[in-house]
Amino acid sequence: MSSTDAAGPTLEAAAPRVTMTEAITIKLRTPAKLRNLELLLLLVAIGITGAAVALVQLGAIGELDLTIIGYGAGLGMLALGMHVVLRITAPDADPFILPIIVTLNGLGVAMIYRLDLAEGYVGWEMAGVRQMVWTAIAMVIALAVLLIVRNHRVLARYRYVAMLVGIALLLLPMLPGIGQTINGARLWIQVGPFSFQPGEIGKIALAVFFAGYLMTARESLSMVGRTFLGMRLPRGRDLGPILVVWVAAMAVLVFQRDLGTSLLYFGLFLVMIYVATGRLSWVLLGLTLFLGGALIAAQTLGYVNNRFAAWLGAFEQQNYDAIGGSYQLVQGMFGLADGGLIGTGLGQGRPDIVPLAESDFIVASLGEELGLVGLFAILGLYLLFVARGFRIGFNGTDDFGRLLAVGLAFVVALQVFIVIGGVTRVIPLTGLTTPFLAAGGSALVANWIIAALLLRLSDTVRHQPRLVVTDDE
Amino acid sequence: MSELTLLLLRIGFLILMWAFVFAIVYALRSDLFGTRVRRMPAAASPAAAAASSSPAPAAAPRAPSSPPTTGGPPARRLVITSGAKEGLELALEDDQLTIGRSADSGLVIRDDYTSTHHARLMLWDDVWMLQDLDSTNGSFVKGKKVGAPTPVPPNTPVSIGTTTFELRR
Repeated sequence: MSSTDAAGPTLEAAAPRVTMTEAITIKLRTPAKLRNLELLLLLVAIGITGAAVALVQLGAIGELDLTIIGYGAGLGMLALGMHVVLRITAPDADPFILPIIVTLNGLGVAMIYRLDLAEGYVGWEMAGVRQMVWTAIAMVIALAVLLIVRNHRVLARYRYVAMLVGIALLLLPMLPGIGQTINGARLWIQVGPFSFQPGEIGKIALAVFFAGYLMTARESLSMVGRTFLGMRLPRGRDLGPILVVWVAAMAVLVFQRDLGTSLLYFGLFLVMIYVATGRLSWVLLGLTLFLGGALIAAQTLGYVNNRFAAWLGAFEQQNYDAIGGSYQLVQGMFGLADGGLIGTGLGQGRPDIVPLAESDFIVASLGEELGLVGLFAILGLYLLFVARGFRIGFNGTDDFGRLLAVGLAFVVALQVFIVIGGVTRVIPLTGLTTPFLAAGGSALVANWIIAALLLRLSDTVRHQPRLVVTDDE
Repeated sequence: MSELTLLLLRIGFLILMWAFVFAIVYALRSDLFGTRVRRMPAAASPAAAAASSSPAPAAAPRAPSSPPTTGGPPARRLVITSGAKEGLELALEDDQLTIGRSADSGLVIRDDYTSTHHARLMLWDDVWMLQDLDSTNGSFVKGKKVGAPTPVPPNTPVSIGTTTFELRR
């Protein structure tokens, strides 16, 4: 009964276990609580996707088409396979990321497939089927990233390679021959039958480079400088990097004619420099630079000017009728208004009226058929995803990992803001893809790589020491 | 398929989506709202002392030197009682904690007396055991050098290098 007895027997119980290694190997295998949670949520996520596809079919054609559901089941198996790989290679990875992106990706596939049904496409013509194939490719690439990058610190070593790769990918569409202009923006390359948007991968390379660069430069960027009006202003010579990035962003704006991409790259750098230095002056400086550049561009570049006019006067007749005017934007808003609070129901609205409803305006399509309630659930999922990314960065112990996690999560957040802000007329409409939802292979691959890197980062973060005791303090 | 069924299905779908969102929020609630803080120093310790005093009389006559709280649930906290980080507390969540100078240890102690892989705490049948991993300067439980794995009852000082800690419930 008493406490002294308890100590005795355990000592004897321990004695047979003199072969210590046995006991150790058993004790090291802690139950995979996180992974079990992930499995549970993943099954719900696959269920949501299946339900969405089934509802689309019931709403649009009035019966179930089992072939498409079969394809979806295949993707579900692939997602479960990814879960199994995580169990083995990254058992401490964040359990929420995979279920969230599977849900978003699945909802996107369901909506693209729904638009195919409205257009009457069949077989390989269907953007939905192509999206499923791209999802499979993206998952396999994400798995490869998880298996190859066993420790994120390796990436810090390749930061200058990442910079070159990022710049090369940015410039690739400018090459004559393979570069391609679609809807006025020169962001694609075409090799044979495949077109690809290299800038999507480029943003990951640049995030790696920014994290690596700021890891070494943060001291000089944050410590030195004069204080003016309560803010510490940077020194003249430290302005170099931000000016370089600003020039690059402006070059994208002028030569590739894409406001969204330009804003994305510059915003990424601004946030990472803010996180690295904790100085608000950098953000104010950067915003002033960018807004100044954008305003000048709005005056001089025709397409930026059109975008601004279509944004501010969307419902004016001449903007509505103009080519590249506000027709798409206004139709999207009509769709959202038609959806109302709970939507018209999947497969029962008319989202196909909006041009590019499956890519740039997928949010308007989803908003029409799922309503405000459904759209906010989607936004909630994005919020949770980004919050997980920030959390991983917050928990990190090395500067590079922290900056990289925050940078990658912020890229997704900024992209969601730019796209949904554009569709809902908060900011001028620009051509970025909604992460995980919109049709487009390169964006899917890039975003799944981001997710894989976040999973890897979260796994290494949890392996860090719990407490460090040092003498020299 | 009737209109009504479709309407119900589509409302059910929205509910399912939100249930998923809230399931995730519920699962990470400790992240969003913080873990519940245990009020330990002033309020809890007298209560714990009072609770542990009832089995103590039976045990005390037989072995007065041993702390009265060996039985029962295992310790869940590690409190540093002296050394560089005196007063710091670490929750013992897993059933193993490695201690040493190397960065892959669970509790990293960097001083002149600690070895790279110094010692290890293991939970065996609800009792924490301290095993010295052949360290240069040794590990001490209640001032005695540890050879074979030794039980560490709660509230017993364990010294490694210049750091001393206790396990507490």
